[in-house]
Amino acid sequence: MIERRAPLVVAVCSVPLLGEALEGALDGLAECKVIAAGQPDIAGLLRSLQPDAIVVDDEGEAEAAATYSRFARIPVLYVPPSGRRLRVLENGRWEELADYDASPEAIRNLVAGGLYGRRAAQ
Amino acid sequence: MRRTRILIADALPLFRAGVRNLLRRESDLEVLEANDAIEAERVLTTGFAEIALIDLELPPAGGLELVRRVRERSTTHIIVWTLEPTREAVLDSITAGAHGFLHKGISAAGLVRSLRGTVNGEAPLSRDMAGLMIDAIHALEARSTARERAAVLSGREKQVLACVARGARNREIAEQLTISEFTVKRHMQNILQKLELPSRRAAASFYLAAYREEGLEEGVSA
Repeated sequence: MIERRAPLVVAVCSVPLLGEALEGALDGLAECKVIAAGQPDIAGLLRSLQPDAIVVDDEGEAEAAATYSRFARIPVLYVPPSGRRLRVLENGRWEELADYDASPEAIRNLVAGGLYGRRAAQ
Repeated sequence: MRRTRILIADALPLFRAGVRNLLRRESDLEVLEANDAIEAERVLTTGFAEIALIDLELPPAGGLELVRRVRERSTTHIIVWTLEPTREAVLDSITAGAHGFLHKGISAAGLVRSLRGTVNGEAPLSRDMAGLMIDAIHALEARSTARERAAVLSGREKQVLACVARGARNREIAEQLTISEFTVKRHMQNILQKLELPSRRAAASFYLAAYREEGLEEGVSA
């Protein structure tokens, strides 16, 4: 495990402006590293970065993130660019969050919950 | 230095936040926000923003409805954008009065460059959007030409052709139009001869090219 001052959230984004929004949403809560979706071997990049949480806006990359999450046991949030419901990975399965719109505040709160819930469990 | 005011009109808070966070770093650009057409119209008609980024799906009636409504009353340079651009959307936006069209998947640097270009009088249209625009103009031209050629057909021949385009067989066409199958065949021969087309399939394609947008019944009433 890498020791860090702030938790690291990796945002895998196919839409660059969503990366901008996520950086703003997580400001003060976590260090946010935005990487472009569609690059080869995103899973390898995730293994190298060892993030504490992943936010992803691309369905294909969401599966790569889910695969990584299965052994790293970190929260993964799927944010559809179309603004439909957020999805969170729970016990290896995607759960749609009916009570959360895809807003920066909702994403910040969910990531915070995922990070703190994870730390409490460690 | 006077800052250029950009209105971002989008129902999705994440896109508004993305543009807001991006342009916060640019000292010459300032962001205003609207989450529907009603708020956006207020800003557009008061001349408060120099540039507006209008989402194609902006509620309640879509971004194009807003662009059409304000085009005579606004001096703002309007850019329509969407996540899923089509050639029709690009052409409709420009026809409605937009000054440019962008893909929401644009890079941060690309968006800033487009906005600054608009300030300098450029029309923001990325390379792929320009391609869609050219396709749309070609399709429009092809439809117009096809309709001119279709003018040589009689009303009954157009009815027969509309049925053919729907995939109907001669017997079905005869039943539908209450004529004999022999008459349908004769109409079909006339259609192919007048339009100089080689086959029934080519005639169906011709009809779809001419009237696809209005639906298959359009040619019947024409």
